Amino acid sequence: MATEVTPEADETALVDTPDEHGHHAQPHTPSTAGWAGRGVVVLLISWLVLLFPLSRDVSDLRLYGLAVIYAIIGLSLNVLLGYTGQISLGHQAFVGIGAFASAYMVSVQGQPFFVAVLVSMVIGALQALVLGAISLRVRGLYFALITLSYGIMAEGTLFNIEKYTGGSAGQAAPLPEPFETPHKFYYLCLLFLAAVVWVDWRLMKTKGGRALLALRENPRVAATLGIDVKLYTLVAFVVSGVFAGLGGALFAHNSEIVVSNTYEFRLALVFVIMTTVGGLRSRTGVIVGSAFFALLGYLIEHEYTFPLVGWHLNIESLLAKLPGPDLTAELAPLVLGPLLLLITLIQYPGGIGQQLRPLTGWLRGNRFDIHDRGDKEVVVADVRA
Amino acid sequence: MTDRLRTALIGGGVALVVVVLLFIFGLQRALIFGLVGGATYSLVALGLVLVYKSSGVFNFAQGEFGTVAVFALFLLTTNDVPYGLAIIGALVVAAVMGLLTERLVVRPLFDAPRVTLLVASAGVSLLAIGVEIWFGEAKLRNVDKALPRQGRFKIFNASISDQELLLIFTLIVLGVLLALFFNRTNLGLAILGASQEPVATELVGISVRRLSSFTWAIAALLGGLAGVLTIPIANSFGPGALTAGVLIPSFTAAVVGGMTSLPGAFLGGIIVGVVQSVAVTADFLEDVPGQSSLSVFVVLVIVLTIRPQGLLGKSA
Amino acid sequence: MSVLETRECTIRFGGVQAATDVSIKVGEWEIVGIIGPNGAGKTTTFNMITGFYKPNSGTVRFNGVDITELSVHERTALGLGRTFQNVGLVKGSTVRENLKTAQHLHAEYGVVAGMLGFPRTFRTEKWLTDRAEAVLEIMGLGDIADTRVAGLPYGVLKRVEVATVLATDPDVLLLDEPSSGMGPEEAHRLGDTLLELRKEFGIAIAMIEHHVPLVVRVCDYVYCLNFGEMLAEGKPEEVRNHPEVVRAYLGEEADNPIVQAAEAAIEELVETD
Repeated sequence: MATEVTPEADETALVDTPDEHGHHAQPHTPSTAGWAGRGVVVLLISWLVLLFPLSRDVSDLRLYGLAVIYAIIGLSLNVLLGYTGQISLGHQAFVGIGAFASAYMVSVQGQPFFVAVLVSMVIGALQALVLGAISLRVRGLYFALITLSYGIMAEGTLFNIEKYTGGSAGQAAPLPEPFETPHKFYYLCLLFLAAVVWVDWRLMKTKGGRALLALRENPRVAATLGIDVKLYTLVAFVVSGVFAGLGGALFAHNSEIVVSNTYEFRLALVFVIMTTVGGLRSRTGVIVGSAFFALLGYLIEHEYTFPLVGWHLNIESLLAKLPGPDLTAELAPLVLGPLLLLITLIQYPGGIGQQLRPLTGWLRGNRFDIHDRGDKEVVVADVRA
Repeated sequence: MTDRLRTALIGGGVALVVVVLLFIFGLQRALIFGLVGGATYSLVALGLVLVYKSSGVFNFAQGEFGTVAVFALFLLTTNDVPYGLAIIGALVVAAVMGLLTERLVVRPLFDAPRVTLLVASAGVSLLAIGVEIWFGEAKLRNVDKALPRQGRFKIFNASISDQELLLIFTLIVLGVLLALFFNRTNLGLAILGASQEPVATELVGISVRRLSSFTWAIAALLGGLAGVLTIPIANSFGPGALTAGVLIPSFTAAVVGGMTSLPGAFLGGIIVGVVQSVAVTADFLEDVPGQSSLSVFVVLVIVLTIRPQGLLGKSA
Repeated sequence: MSVLETRECTIRFGGVQAATDVSIKVGEWEIVGIIGPNGAGKTTTFNMITGFYKPNSGTVRFNGVDITELSVHERTALGLGRTFQNVGLVKGSTVRENLKTAQHLHAEYGVVAGMLGFPRTFRTEKWLTDRAEAVLEIMGLGDIADTRVAGLPYGVLKRVEVATVLATDPDVLLLDEPSSGMGPEEAHRLGDTLLELRKEFGIAIAMIEHHVPLVVRVCDYVYCLNFGEMLAEGKPEEVRNHPEVVRAYLGEEADNPIVQAAEAAIEELVETD
């Protein structure tokens, strides 16, 4: 090994060229101007997320809330799909259980909102635990089948048990007391998202996350390093179930009603698409990807105005120029979604997260490197099938 | 005892047990309904097993091969194309879709983990559904049967239409043809060989890529056949028709029979069809919502935890 | 008393008897070699020791305790470390992350505490990072600490693997062909490292090897397997010259004087390096 020649880090060099491993002589410290620039970008993003919604009307706010909720759901699926390599094609059931649980707790049992949310998380965790136990016995591809079948079964059977789910009329889930407007509820959802991101961040920075990444890639080696593969697989399911249950509860109250036919199998595939296109194992990517898919219809039908130059842009009218029947804002996501999924899988496995790396790396204080694509070998869901 | 004999005995034994149980419980009608429903699952499962045997992929687009074929059939028959030609046209469309899927999605992902291919094929089916909704709108349509006569036969008090008989008959014929193909013809053996030893196959002078295209075309044809024969029985169809209620029971059928066994697909289809039929008609499950998907789920979990290789599959 | 021991371990896969009555002892401070032609059952034996396979009969004992029923990670917790023929690392992670993963059993906080971000977990993580840094320094891997394992050359990978397995704090190290892919110089240095490990850390070592000079130089005792059975055991020189062993490697031609001369010449060439 010592036959490799690593160029000496020349600290007086005018041009700091990286060595063959991509390392620079010294870690890059941005100048004051550099930090100022990064500060501006962060402020812009904060304005977009925190202040811009204040000026919008109620129906828009429900949609923004949905985007945040989808982000939470995406992060929950990412724990299974991205970190642990377990395929879950029935994730809509994880979310649905949380939704119905919360609605039931509030409307039928008259419990306060936060109790209902807690119950949703616990139920989400329990149900995920059951599936996790099944996953220990059933290999990758076949487990995917089970999750898909489970999701369909949940929609048909579990979510139609009238006593708990209100049957075909659904169950009411009103906005909770201190947050009775969509505006306030949106900010509440943001808080929950922040909490989820914190837990996800800490998970991956500690032994739990490292255990998951190891067992995903090579369970034998993981075991040899002292990791209890079965235990940590179950941990992943529980964490995913807790996040999904939370997402479900918020989803319920954001729509103010829960009906079983929302949770059809296509929703599960939407979740897989948004997480995969967002970029597995990339929190930023998953958040952006999920929000994107939640807002896709809205983004397409919206009329954008650029006041300074007097331009108007409406994507829907552009799409109408395509041959064939009108690809409306409602229809476009049905075609665009799977198309993006296929493009991601075949061409850009790291998804949006990978494409955003130059930006996120820069914001962290590194040099802006347009070619930075991080891990070249992000493979989607490499499960030991 | 040879493998063939053992296979036949297991298949026969299971079938016998099932039939006897049904008679005992007075659910003979379910047997007939189950056979017809199961025939569809068998047909789709054949395509699933074929793709799995040749490339190890779980093909989630198998259902949409059928839906696309039905849409084509609809378009052709409503434009006054004779039924026979319309069927052929529909099958051609299905085969083309299979070839395109193989070329654009499966081949680039040749070396990717099998799960990536599973998700990609799910993407293909979603894309197909999206396009169907785009061009075809989300409404229900009707398609005529090939053989319109109803109620010619009554077995155990359940009437079978001509179309349903056609379905079962086609299934049997296909079964024999496929068995002959894979066991006797060079091409068939080559396909099986390529899945196990792609390098050796290439070295012997067979193009693995061509085989892959061929296999997917056949699988798509099987899916297309399932579509054009089955949908007219239910009469109405919409986008995603064969994925929504048919794909998962068909996968379950393939798993029950054994993902590596073509005869298993038959057996599995019948079993799933009958179980589902019993679950829907039996009294003791009357108050349970969604019996049909529940029964399929239970069968899947039981098989995968007790005997993952299915009834006729090879042990892992 | 031996630190690691297999007693008459036998295992069958389908119709194949992969190992029959394999009895191996590793004493404290010992370096034991396991040799034999390919397919002799050497890795199978390792797999039984580490717990990937459960023998059909026989036991595995660690410091006198029967560990045959323990799972893989439980054996690691007891102090058993192991490397793999095709490099057992988390290839998608960096070298540093691998070293931190290897310290899994030393991270003394609960998973939940870790997720919620209790202050103690930050401190423990810092401690783990420092320990990882120390191992990196010792093994001379500092400059590639943040490189993804997947891109590294094979020789470097082997060193990273040794570093990783050392981070698990083993008392006994099982090395599966540690010198594969190495030239004579590197193999010699590997021998130095192994002797160092024994001297500095008191680690006992069992290694599967094909590199005869390394085995002769470093091992205190050698076992030779063939067709899953113990063929010969003893001091390295004895085993090497044992006629059965020679025959196993060279087949029936072992008695052929031409082959013997060739073999002697090769030995000489290798040893002069």
